[in-house]
Amino acid sequence: MSISIKQLFGRKPKSSSIAKQRLKLVITQDRLDVDDRVMTRLHHELAEVLAKYFEFSANSVKMNLKQEGNSYILVADFPYTKFHDLNVRR
Amino acid sequence: MGKVIVVTSGKGGVGKTTSTANLGTALALLGKTVVVVDADVGLRNLDIVMGLESRIVYTSMDVIEKQCELSKALVRDRRVDGLMLLAASQKNNKDDIQPEQMKAICDKLRTTHDFVLVDSPAGIERGFSNASAGADEAIVVTTPDVSAIRDADRIIGLLQNARIEPINLVLNRFSPQLVGNGSMMDQADVLDILNIDLIGVVPEDSGVITSTNRGIPLVYEDASPGAQAYMRIARRLTGQRIPIPDFEQSGLFSNILKWFKKKK
Ligand SMILES: Nc1ncnc2c1ncn2[C@@H]1O[C@H](COP(=O)(O)OP(=O)(O)OP(=O)(O)O)[C@@H](O)[C@H]1O
Ligand SMILES: [Mg+2]
Repeated sequence: MSISIKQLFGRKPKSSSIAKQRLKLVITQDRLDVDDRVMTRLHHELAEVLAKYFEFSANSVKMNLKQEGNSYILVADFPYTKFHDLNVRR
Repeated sequence: MGKVIVVTSGKGGVGKTTSTANLGTALALLGKTVVVVDADVGLRNLDIVMGLESRIVYTSMDVIEKQCELSKALVRDRRVDGLMLLAASQKNNKDDIQPEQMKAICDKLRTTHDFVLVDSPAGIERGFSNASAGADEAIVVTTPDVSAIRDADRIIGLLQNARIEPINLVLNRFSPQLVGNGSMMDQADVLDILNIDLIGVVPEDSGVITSTNRGIPLVYEDASPGAQAYMRIARRLTGQRIPIPDFEQSGLFSNILKWFKKKK
């Protein structure tokens, strides 16, 4: 979270700016929730890349958006069973 | 071939019916032929807002049930040429109508009129699907507050999925004073969030309430800021290019004033 000069000098931020900031966050979340396809695609593409390095079972994977302060964090759990030996790969 | 435009919002009470009544009347005043369709089955209000409540004989339900011809169910507004109302049934509910049936009505109306404006109920359920089923375009009405804007975003997503385009935004109940002192988002803020085209800003205007009391749409009161805003939107709907005025006070003096206000 960033602290603006205004906040440092003890002035309250305008409520309209707070509204805008909160809306932007919640709408990002709403859009992703509604459009499950985006998350599913991301899930598949991430799995494809990670599969080059790790072995994991597809149904143990969890992906979520988590709000922290002013931003969203993408939390992806890919519990792996084995690390591929990278020297074997060309 | 006329255009079918659904007037919708997601959140209730933000001004869909007020906008439909005023834009319909304004388009007729500009010489267009218009039908305003109440799609709020079970909670109809467009008739009373327009002052036509005493003249309703048939509703869209009667047309669907083949109790009467579509042309016979249209109530002519005698105050202006070319304006008709198709009322919603008050004794049925939204599930009694299928989206295809609404679409059929809209498709028929567009062959005889320049504009068909459909007043949608609030919500994202059946009432909304019925109202938007026959629409080519949409007008999304919102007020500048967090819940209305969030719901507008949801509706915009549904309209986009239904390939309804363009989707134009009406920002209603806008207060330059509140924007000036930082307690209301301005049009740039709202557009930044919703990312669709703005077709007009309607200020908070007590004339809306008094004109609704009388059943005479506000656009007949030339001097009122709300009426002027609706007339400008109607002109834009007909394809005229009219800039959206900046409702904020401008000029050096008011900017200095604003700067002082911000410091408070
Ligand atoms: N620009 C405005 N200035 C002042 N009052 C307004 C304005 N626009 C709408 N209103 C008032 O807000 C109330 C709700 O308006 P309206 O019935 O048009 O909303 P709606 O979106 O159709 O509601 P619903 O979701 O219940 O159908 C009415 O009392 C109306 O007079
Ligand atoms: Mg309404």
